[in-house]
Amino acid sequence: MNNSFLRVSIWVYLVIFFLYLLGPLVIMSVTAFNSSAFPRMTPWECLTFQWFGELFQDQRILNGIKNSLIIGAGTVILSVAMGLAGALMLTQIWPKLRATYYTIIIAPILIPGVVLGISTLVFWDRINRMLGLGADSFLSNGIFLTVIGQSTFIASYCMLVLVARLQRYDVALTEAALDLGATHAQAFRKILLPFMRPAIASAAVLAFLASFENYNTTTFTFGEYPTLTIELAQKVRYGITPAISALAFIIVALTVFFALLNEAKLKRQELVAAARKSATVEELAGKIKLPSFFAGNMAAVLLVVFAVATITVVGTATAYNPGQCIANVKEQKRVEAEQRIQELRKQREEQRKKREAEEVEQGGAQQSTPKPSNNSGFGNVFAPNTLGGDAEEESSDTETPPSNNGGFGGVFDPNSLQTDQ
Amino acid sequence: MSAGVGVDLENLWIRFGDFVAVRDANVNINGGDFFSFLGPSGCGKTTILRAVSGFLEPSEGKVLIGGKDMRGIGPNKRPTALIFQNLALFPLMKVWENITFSLEISGASAKERRKRADELLDMIALPDQGDKLPSELSGGQRQRVAIARALCAEPDVLLLDEPLSALDLKLRQHMRTELREIQKRVGITFIYITHDQGEALTMSDNIAVMRAGVIDQIADGKTIYNDPNTAFAASFVGENNVFRGKIKQIMGNEALISTNRSGELVARISTANQGKLAVGDDAMMFIRPEAFAIAADGVSGDHFVTARVNHEEFEGNVFNIFTEGDGGKEIKVSLPNLGQSFDDHTGQNITLEYETRNAVLVPAGELAAE
Amino acid sequence: MPGFLKEFFSRNGIGMGAAILGLVLFWTIGLIILPQLSMLDFSFRPNLPPPEIGGPKDVYTLENYKYLIYGPEGGSQSYNAVDLRVFFRTLLAAVCVTIFNLILCYPIAYYLGQSKGNHIRIFAIMLIIPYWINEILRAFALRIIFGETGVLNTLFVGLGIWDTPFDFIRNDIALYAGLGYAYILLMIFPMYNVIESLDKNQIEAARDLGAPWWRIHWRVVIPYAKPGISSGCTMVFMLSAGALAAPQILGGPSSLWFTQLIYQQFNDNNDWPQGAAYAIVLLVTCILFVLAMMRLFKVNMGDIGK
Repeated sequence: MNNSFLRVSIWVYLVIFFLYLLGPLVIMSVTAFNSSAFPRMTPWECLTFQWFGELFQDQRILNGIKNSLIIGAGTVILSVAMGLAGALMLTQIWPKLRATYYTIIIAPILIPGVVLGISTLVFWDRINRMLGLGADSFLSNGIFLTVIGQSTFIASYCMLVLVARLQRYDVALTEAALDLGATHAQAFRKILLPFMRPAIASAAVLAFLASFENYNTTTFTFGEYPTLTIELAQKVRYGITPAISALAFIIVALTVFFALLNEAKLKRQELVAAARKSATVEELAGKIKLPSFFAGNMAAVLLVVFAVATITVVGTATAYNPGQCIANVKEQKRVEAEQRIQELRKQREEQRKKREAEEVEQGGAQQSTPKPSNNSGFGNVFAPNTLGGDAEEESSDTETPPSNNGGFGGVFDPNSLQTDQ
Repeated sequence: MSAGVGVDLENLWIRFGDFVAVRDANVNINGGDFFSFLGPSGCGKTTILRAVSGFLEPSEGKVLIGGKDMRGIGPNKRPTALIFQNLALFPLMKVWENITFSLEISGASAKERRKRADELLDMIALPDQGDKLPSELSGGQRQRVAIARALCAEPDVLLLDEPLSALDLKLRQHMRTELREIQKRVGITFIYITHDQGEALTMSDNIAVMRAGVIDQIADGKTIYNDPNTAFAASFVGENNVFRGKIKQIMGNEALISTNRSGELVARISTANQGKLAVGDDAMMFIRPEAFAIAADGVSGDHFVTARVNHEEFEGNVFNIFTEGDGGKEIKVSLPNLGQSFDDHTGQNITLEYETRNAVLVPAGELAAE
Repeated sequence: MPGFLKEFFSRNGIGMGAAILGLVLFWTIGLIILPQLSMLDFSFRPNLPPPEIGGPKDVYTLENYKYLIYGPEGGSQSYNAVDLRVFFRTLLAAVCVTIFNLILCYPIAYYLGQSKGNHIRIFAIMLIIPYWINEILRAFALRIIFGETGVLNTLFVGLGIWDTPFDFIRNDIALYAGLGYAYILLMIFPMYNVIESLDKNQIEAARDLGAPWWRIHWRVVIPYAKPGISSGCTMVFMLSAGALAAPQILGGPSSLWFTQLIYQQFNDNNDWPQGAAYAIVLLVTCILFVLAMMRLFKVNMGDIGK
């Protein structure tokens, strides 16, 4: 009994945890389809695709994507190269230097991105000045600085990914290649590189994603070339619109798609490897009967479901016109607003009636009070859209001026007293 | 004078920091020989191989291949091919691509390479296996692929670093004969590294016995087995019984030793040590288990040993008797099974007899670890 | 040293060796060490217009560091109360976020590490996907949820649990939730890696001996997972303390994060040396704090970053 209680609570915890993790993304994605001008899920107004259209007309977003892609490509090349060199060095460095070296190349992961951005900016600015180059030189170019700044720490991530695979590499393979007449470069290209390819691919993807989503470092280095993330941050900080939700939805969908694709591919490789293992010689020489793509491959099935869903959504989007619905909602809003005004008027009316009734009851006893409740401005209350506060302000305004308009003039003003003497 | 290319090591020293891996090695390997370096792990034999193949520069001395000094020549420029201990087959290449890697480097066309691969696959008796991956082959097949890959480079010298150690016993014995046959067929020099004396004895023309960076003896298998230079060589190659003692008298090539436990015994001084031992020196006498015979009770003399039997075991082809021996070590006696009846001697004293030519005397020295 | 270099080049060849060495030197010295030293140097200099840099006024000064502690010269207060409060609040909040994440993620890491089956892979994908989404968008998602007319307020007001919308943003709840959210993966993965290698028999044995579940965790699992826990905590702490996007998007108008001060010095005040000094203070404090914690819990540096 205790055991089953524990199991249930674990599952409840898992559900809550993944709600926290995925809920925000789902809600954000859903808001991309709501016609409300503020990204919200409730109240639901109309299903619309207008935010996607708006997104693709936003020149700054498109420009940001372009810059992000350029910087991402540069960062991938630089950080994978440095990460691979760093990993190779780690496996053969002089043992006494190893710990120091490892600390240095792992440190950028822990250094706050803000600090990396600043140090990159300051350092290359100084180099630029030392070389006597102008403010528009290559070294102060936003793309160069961003690639350099991002690669500083992304290379560390790449190094970690690559060194994990490199540790399983048998140096004897390189030696065998050398022994058979290959040069060092040939051994690297024909033996080590193919072995490292899966890890290099992971490192490249990781580097690109890290570059694409980086904000802390880039915000100091981007110069004239704001990346998508920088543009997004500007937009989000100064007012949010569902167009951002639309972009988020696209990114989420792409991410899920590629995650499923990768998973399906891995699963298939596993199945193929298993099939090869059990295949006989003749089958290998000719053709092996491969299991079909979907057999035993959950991810592949999901992938197809996903693709079908996407096609359906896009199809709906082109055929669907939410104009009528939006008009309805607008109309409904107008009606609601009118109703509210009506209610307000009614309240006012009732208040007035009540007050009048009271006044009548109390008669002249109250008349000596200077409250200008009976002045002509009172009529304004009946005007639509006028709130009670306005009326009160008006009345107090009419009350205050007399205090300054007394017959004594400025006599009591201390300043005027002084000037007289 | 054979046709192949010889390898010479001249005053070869290899150091790693303060550690001396190879100490003053001098070896002449004739062209076309099957030459083995035999020694326990860590004795420096792999280091020598790496120096020959070019992965290591010697600290002092020279490596000559075909009479040419190899200093400064990288492994990819030397006429050697190395078969690694773990074979180092390229895991992502198919078998035929593995075999013809050296041709790929020299820029041969795929068709040419495929043709050569098929020839070599025929030679190693693995036809039609070229499209498999190395991981899809069995241990023995991988072994042969590694040999084919090395031979495809047409080296003058083939270096083999304990290539059989990963195989099971049956396969190992089978591969020994196969390797020897391949060597005879291609006629090039083989340098073979092993810690298995059985492999070294069955395959080699000549063997170098190594201990802690030093070469103790270079000779053919029979000489190493029957006429060892040192206590280490005597105890490392094959099973041997040791008797410690002091030399009491020298009579030409023979000597009388007063042993610690078994009284005075006579022995033949090993060839390399003749004239070098003197009366009073600490010495060790070695007698192989199969060199003993059981003598009649009560006889005694300088080629009889009397000892109490601890236990006995029947091994099939031989019958083993273990008696109390020198310094806690038992004396092992192996009697060939020729259909005679074996008496149970456990707990009794028996007398063992040997012929003087089978008792070898060397200076006292380090023994091989069990 | 030349011996090491000689061996390095004979092992990798001259060309490959030079390429590897060149890249490593460029990375370690050109991108990591020199920029940090340059920033350190810069933080000790006055803020000068470009033509005067290197001129007679360009001398070393402690002014930028003094500013953090004492505020502007001739200021009304004896201490820079505003910036100092932001600084300590940032550190304290980063610690809180780290502890929150640790408590939240430990059960998940334990469950994933000790269960077998296909669903674990799916969980792993579900964990990774949010991490692939842009940091800004993740903060944006939380802003939609925590906003005044966001999902949570609509829900709670609708259910009648409270009658006026609660301002999550002004109360920093959105910020803490966002920071915690941002670094969940960095907490889970190191812990998961370690716990996965824990032999299940150890837990079985402890259970056999009658240990209650909390004692099994306290005495068996947590000591074993210590390298992973410290690795995760270090990363989450450093990244929370150095976060910029989440505070900018989810922070209330009155509560600043220390990185925002640095950002202001750079972008709004155009006072780079001052910003560099603040960055140095943040970096050094964080490193010292992490080292102190590692000393306190007896963790080695080599365990970090696994």
